[in-house]
Amino acid sequence: MPEEEWKRLVTIGRERLFPCIQCGKCTGGCPIALVCKTFNVRRILNEVLYTEGEEVAHNKDYLWNCSACGTCMSRCPKGVDPMEMVLTLRSVLVEDGEIPAKVRDVLKSIDVRKNPWGMGKDSRTDWTRGLEVKNIADAEVLYYVCCTPAFDQRLQKVPRAIVKAFNKGGVNFGILGLEEVCCGNEIKRLGDLWNFEALREKNLENFKKYPIKQIVVTSPHCYNSFIHDYPGLDVEVKHYTQKIDELLTEGRLAFTGEFTKKVAFHDPCFLGKHNQVFDEPRRILQRVPGLNYVEFDRCRERSLCCEGGGGRMWIEAFDAKDRTANLRVREAIDLGVEVIATSCPFCLLTLEDAIKIGRYEERLKVMDIMEIIDLVLN
Amino acid sequence: MKLGVYICHCGVNIKANVNVAKLTKFAEQLPRVRVARDYLYMCSEPGQQLIKKDIEEHGLDRVVVAACSPRMHEITFRKALRSAGLNPHCLEIANIREQCSWVHEDRMKATQKAQKLLAAAVSKAALLEPLEEKEVEVTPAALVVGGGIAGIQAALDIADTGYKVYLVEKEPSIGGHMIQLDKTFPTLDCSACILTPKMADVGNHPNIELFSYSEVVAVKGFVGNFEVTIKKKPRYIDETKCNACGQCAQYCSIEVPDSFNLNLSKRKCIYIPFPQSVPACYVIDPDHCRYLLTRDCTQCLEVCKQGTNAIDFTQKEELVEVKVGTIVIATGYDLFDVTTKPEYGYHLYDNVITGLEFERLSNASGPTTGEIIINGKKPKDVVFIQCVGSRDKTVGNEYCSRVCCMYTAKQAHLVREKLPQATITVFYMDVRAFGKGFEEFYDRVKQEGVKYRRGNPSEVYRRGDRLVVKAEDTLQGELVEVEADLVVLASGIIPNKQTAQIASLLKLSQSPDRFLLEAHPKLRPVDSASDGIFLAGCCQGPKDIPDSVAQASAAAAKSLIPLSTGKVIIQALTSFVQESDCRGCGFCVEACPFDAIELREVKRGRRVLEVASVNEVLCKGCGVCASVCLSGAIQQKSFADRQILSMVAALGEEYA
Amino acid sequence: MLKKFDPNIMAFLCNWCSYAGADLTGTSHFHYPPNLKAIRVMCTGRINPLMVAAAFRHGADGVLISGCHPGECHYMEGNYLARRKIFVFRNLLEFVGINPERLQMSWVSASEGKKFSNVVKEITEKIKKLGPLTTFDE
Ligand SMILES: Cc1cc2nc3c(=O)[nH]c(=O)nc-3n(C[C@H](O)[C@H](O)[C@H](O)COP(=O)(O)OP(=O)(O)OC[C@H]3O[C@@H](n4cnc5c(N)ncnc54)[C@H](O)[C@@H]3O)c2cc1C
Ligand code: SF4
Ligand code: SF4
Ligand code: FES
Repeated sequence: MPEEEWKRLVTIGRERLFPCIQCGKCTGGCPIALVCKTFNVRRILNEVLYTEGEEVAHNKDYLWNCSACGTCMSRCPKGVDPMEMVLTLRSVLVEDGEIPAKVRDVLKSIDVRKNPWGMGKDSRTDWTRGLEVKNIADAEVLYYVCCTPAFDQRLQKVPRAIVKAFNKGGVNFGILGLEEVCCGNEIKRLGDLWNFEALREKNLENFKKYPIKQIVVTSPHCYNSFIHDYPGLDVEVKHYTQKIDELLTEGRLAFTGEFTKKVAFHDPCFLGKHNQVFDEPRRILQRVPGLNYVEFDRCRERSLCCEGGGGRMWIEAFDAKDRTANLRVREAIDLGVEVIATSCPFCLLTLEDAIKIGRYEERLKVMDIMEIIDLVLN
Repeated sequence: MKLGVYICHCGVNIKANVNVAKLTKFAEQLPRVRVARDYLYMCSEPGQQLIKKDIEEHGLDRVVVAACSPRMHEITFRKALRSAGLNPHCLEIANIREQCSWVHEDRMKATQKAQKLLAAAVSKAALLEPLEEKEVEVTPAALVVGGGIAGIQAALDIADTGYKVYLVEKEPSIGGHMIQLDKTFPTLDCSACILTPKMADVGNHPNIELFSYSEVVAVKGFVGNFEVTIKKKPRYIDETKCNACGQCAQYCSIEVPDSFNLNLSKRKCIYIPFPQSVPACYVIDPDHCRYLLTRDCTQCLEVCKQGTNAIDFTQKEELVEVKVGTIVIATGYDLFDVTTKPEYGYHLYDNVITGLEFERLSNASGPTTGEIIINGKKPKDVVFIQCVGSRDKTVGNEYCSRVCCMYTAKQAHLVREKLPQATITVFYMDVRAFGKGFEEFYDRVKQEGVKYRRGNPSEVYRRGDRLVVKAEDTLQGELVEVEADLVVLASGIIPNKQTAQIASLLKLSQSPDRFLLEAHPKLRPVDSASDGIFLAGCCQGPKDIPDSVAQASAAAAKSLIPLSTGKVIIQALTSFVQESDCRGCGFCVEACPFDAIELREVKRGRRVLEVASVNEVLCKGCGVCASVCLSGAIQQKSFADRQILSMVAALGEEYA
Repeated sequence: MLKKFDPNIMAFLCNWCSYAGADLTGTSHFHYPPNLKAIRVMCTGRINPLMVAAAFRHGADGVLISGCHPGECHYMEGNYLARRKIFVFRNLLEFVGINPERLQMSWVSASEGKKFSNVVKEITEKIKKLGPLTTFDE
């Protein structure tokens, strides 16, 4: 990246903050503010307005608290984007080397292994064991798996279920296999713009190599990245819930089994708030025979973030008294649901942790929509 | 030909960026210039005297003023010329303020540009012709569109002066939003109590002809002589017979949501919007009437037959033509649609309501006869959220709605009065209590124990059977969750949804906020850009009642000027035909958007030819005809080809 | 040393929208380059190709025609007429060897002061790039 471009990226766009009237709607909606008194985006924004220069980023451990859920951005009446400001401040910290140890590990792993989890490159396709999966060279729809479900044993069920469903639905799809690299959504939000650039270039190169008609992704985070951070990409991108919904609507897939549980859907921030995909996951669940669908009161645009985004999978919040995932799980208990369904690998992990912390394992489970589908597709 | 050139300093406004002394020297050596002077303020009395004196002493026959925009002071200088005995159209203005000194920083370059502009004006001036202004008679009547408080006030003021007024209201009754309100800030008068007498005056006024349930569908003509087509929708009831006894409604079996109560209650299909409606006449809702839809019910008809026999299902839509001299637009506002802010849950929770719904709830004639009851219960904790849909770029409303701060304060007061035990919290971004008595009222409400917390709430959600309003209290810098069983959204004001339609019907402009645009933000706040059309009330921008009334009276006074003088001067910049050059091709006839040109037979020697001929009353002076004429026979006065081309040539020169 | 190219740009503005808009630019003190000098006409519909040709002949390096937004012409459809004429005339310009980019048309309303200054900045930049109109063969 040319020096100048770099400068432009990390200089805090103060003029974009000028319209702020300090109304507090951003902080009022911020899930992190709910659990951590020290993190107040409105106040940070004001400080940035008062202080010229980038030193304003320093000595603010709480900058790593933001989960990039986008609530503040979507609520601000003046069209200011406080989230972008926080993330830009992070990139200043990364540039100056003021990086928490855990984040440093992630960034190193990305640099060397092209995944954030420190996993060996060769194990990326381990999840396909025993499955028929084509390489993209012989197909037209690219199924882009994402590092997290590819490497995490618990999550591998999700791509496996997707493969089965796509095969059943007659989708001509393939994967990049060992060639796949991280999409960089979280890396960009951790402030490492250099590494993000490298990932983007690599991905775009991969996508150009094959005559791809469509990309379907497992994770809302990849979805977001391809839609918003890949200006050069001119292939249609779909989240798997959109694809499955389409297959169901066209009658190419049908549910035969039953799932007789009370289920509520937890909107992943990067699918809902960031990209307004609200209806497809609900339509899928409501089609499942026997499933008793209920809504969280805080759903759709008001959904409560689980704190899994913006790199928070690797960072414990600074100075927080609780986790929002715990609040979310308690809401589910109050609502009397047996299953929280979601459609994001990170939500799955954070909510599962929260269930364990609350000792609700007996009463409550969190499942990816694909895991439910897998049970009713026979 | 002798020209005088006058260069204005405009205090320092021009002088600071344009070298006026140099410009004056430059003017002196331009062809035909007899005198060139500069002065501090040309538009001032002594400035104008300077011109007059020169006209008399030097026998000037053309005048060029280099000053502010001709859109500012052309009329001023024309008057000066006239009073010195010179034809007012022998004037040309070089705009060296708005389009020069105010927009350029480099003084040398600005001066060079000013020279060019001046040279162009001088060359055009030499070619100007004296023009005659014609007067036309004015139809002594006015049209008022919209029967809210603004329209009512304007209609009464004009009618009281003795002129005929046609008042057109699209709803079955006049009254507008004000008739839906409960008490009014800051003095807490009951809205209906102060409004209904005025409505009755409209109904009884010998000079006012009220077209309710009607809309304006076409407007032709120009100031002094507008021809207006009004569409009267069928009420299915004869206005002259109905005495509003209400028997019919008792027999009607169809119930529909009552839009006057914002659908918080029901009304019958045959209905009167509210008891004091003007006209006091029932109306049948055509979308729900069983007779009109399927002809299988005549209940109302039968009872009415025994009384006044006013029901008439044969009524049809009717078009009425009226002639007026002036028009006042008072079409008011609509409420911001709060469902576009899903974070507040209006679409989900019955106990989240809008400000206007609160007015109905609190109103003695409303669905709960004035008791604040929601979901069958009196609320214990009430939260008001200000600025919903105002000052909000994301929904395209950057402006402040000007009434929500005060109506929220008023409503908080009403809750306090009716529910002394309730806790009341108002979330605000800024409290704008700018009007007379407003700050005092705000103080009073705070003293009544209403909690004001600074912060724009981010969301409303449900916890158990209560609502939670989540916000940052920005003064404390902490997140707060306030429980409530009634949340009132102070929804902002947006332009009436038909504004674009009205604007295109009357050739009016809209400002970026989509309200109707006034001719000048400071000096002509009630005029539209079209002569003879004036703006009153919220159609021009958000306003409270006192401001709406003030603007309405101002618009009435303005529209009375042509009515009372009885004549208007028609603009002189019409087109004219040099018959000897005309080929009679008729291109201009085709091109004229106003049908002002026709082909006329003339005798030339023994031959009979067709030539174009302009009707000067219909001609609006756009000059389109002149641009299509291939032989240059039709020209626009003061904008003839050779006049414009002389400016082009002058702008092309380089001057030292 | 060669003098820096300082283009001469002439504009025809309609009285009701663009001239008023240009006045608002002034009232709001938004700056723009002094290269552009305006001639006021009542409506863009008044302008005929003769005037544009004359402008180029008399040393204009660029010409701007600006009027009311489509549908907002004070005289109903003068701006549509102007647009059609300009469209045809641009082809003609190309034919005689003048880059048609030298003739620009824009819509600026009475409330778009900021927009007017942007329009002037843009056309000035554009003409600067094109260089002086020296011959009729570009
Ligand atoms: C919740 C709320 C509370 C308020 N409380 C107060 C208060 O306490 N004190 C105060 O001073 N102000 C208050 N206001 C402001 C007040 O309502 C306005 O100032 C006032 O109603 C403006 O009157 P208007 O005549 O301009 O518009 P409107 O009242 O909107 O009247 C416009 C009329 O024109 C008609 N119309 C519209 N289009 C057409 C058409 N095309 N053809 C024919 N007719 C048409 C409409 O049907 C309507 O009757 C409040 C506003 C709100 C929203
Ligand atoms: S919501 Fe927007 S305007 Fe309000 S404080 Fe936050 S950034 Fe500023
Ligand atoms: S993006 Fe989400 S977590 Fe980050 S500051 Fe905004 S609201 Fe808070
Ligand atoms: S009046 Fe502006 S283009 Fe016709």
